[in-house]
Amino acid sequence: MSNCEDCEQWMQPYMDRVLTDAERRDAEVHLDECSYCRKRYRFEAHLRQFVRQAVVEPMPVELKQRLASLRTPLQ
Amino acid sequence: MSETTRESDPRRLAADARDRVHFEEDALALSDQIYRVARHLVGSREEAEDLMQETYARAFRSWRSFTPGTNLRAWLLRILTNLNIDRGRRLQRTPDQQPLEEGDYFLYNKLEETSGGASDEDRVVQRLSQNDVVDALSEVPHDFRDVVVLVDIGDFTYADAAQILDIPVGTVMSRLHRGRRILKKAMADSAVGSER
Repeated sequence: MSNCEDCEQWMQPYMDRVLTDAERRDAEVHLDECSYCRKRYRFEAHLRQFVRQAVVEPMPVELKQRLASLRTPLQ
Repeated sequence: MSETTRESDPRRLAADARDRVHFEEDALALSDQIYRVARHLVGSREEAEDLMQETYARAFRSWRSFTPGTNLRAWLLRILTNLNIDRGRRLQRTPDQQPLEEGDYFLYNKLEETSGGASDEDRVVQRLSQNDVVDALSEVPHDFRDVVVLVDIGDFTYADAAQILDIPVGTVMSRLHRGRRILKKAMADSAVGSER
């Protein structure tokens, strides 16, 4: 029923788990049958993880101290 | 009981102070997670640091308006995004003439095509560097980037992102859809642009 163009449209909502049950089943049937889309699905899953890790920049320690110094002084 | 009596009741004052201390500790414990998002809502580390300090100063002043038991991380980010908008840090650059976004498969196809074809998905992801991602994210226009950063980096639900940015959930979904495509197009340009 679905084709690769539909699958490309559904890919992100599928990964976000916001498709309806029927749409999700259609997407899964297509992913089972189609290695072209399956490859791209696996890539998208890895990509999300990679993006999350790549952009992490630890908070500077001095900033943490400055934030703590903004606290209300204890009476 | 009148307001004055209640305010000056020593037990009441002690409870109030205790609640405030808890609030401040909870808020500070979330600061790493808030910074992780804040850093990519603005252009530079300095801006992110200023924004964090303004956010925490305001949060500590107005802690009584936080409803205990609700999402403190979302509450803090709501303050932060409002301050970010107030400070006029959202001046849009003129959009580029070239199309900003491509289809969802564009990035994979681009990377695969330039890596000799015979590669699995892992190898294809490895063609991207950390800088490709960071640079590409900074190129996504603010309205789209805010949503991508909150959902894909901050792990907020669509509903939380909608509340933080004060926009409808449908707008979150459409901006997320376009924002991810813009980001992938920018990553493709960054990763394989020089090889074209």
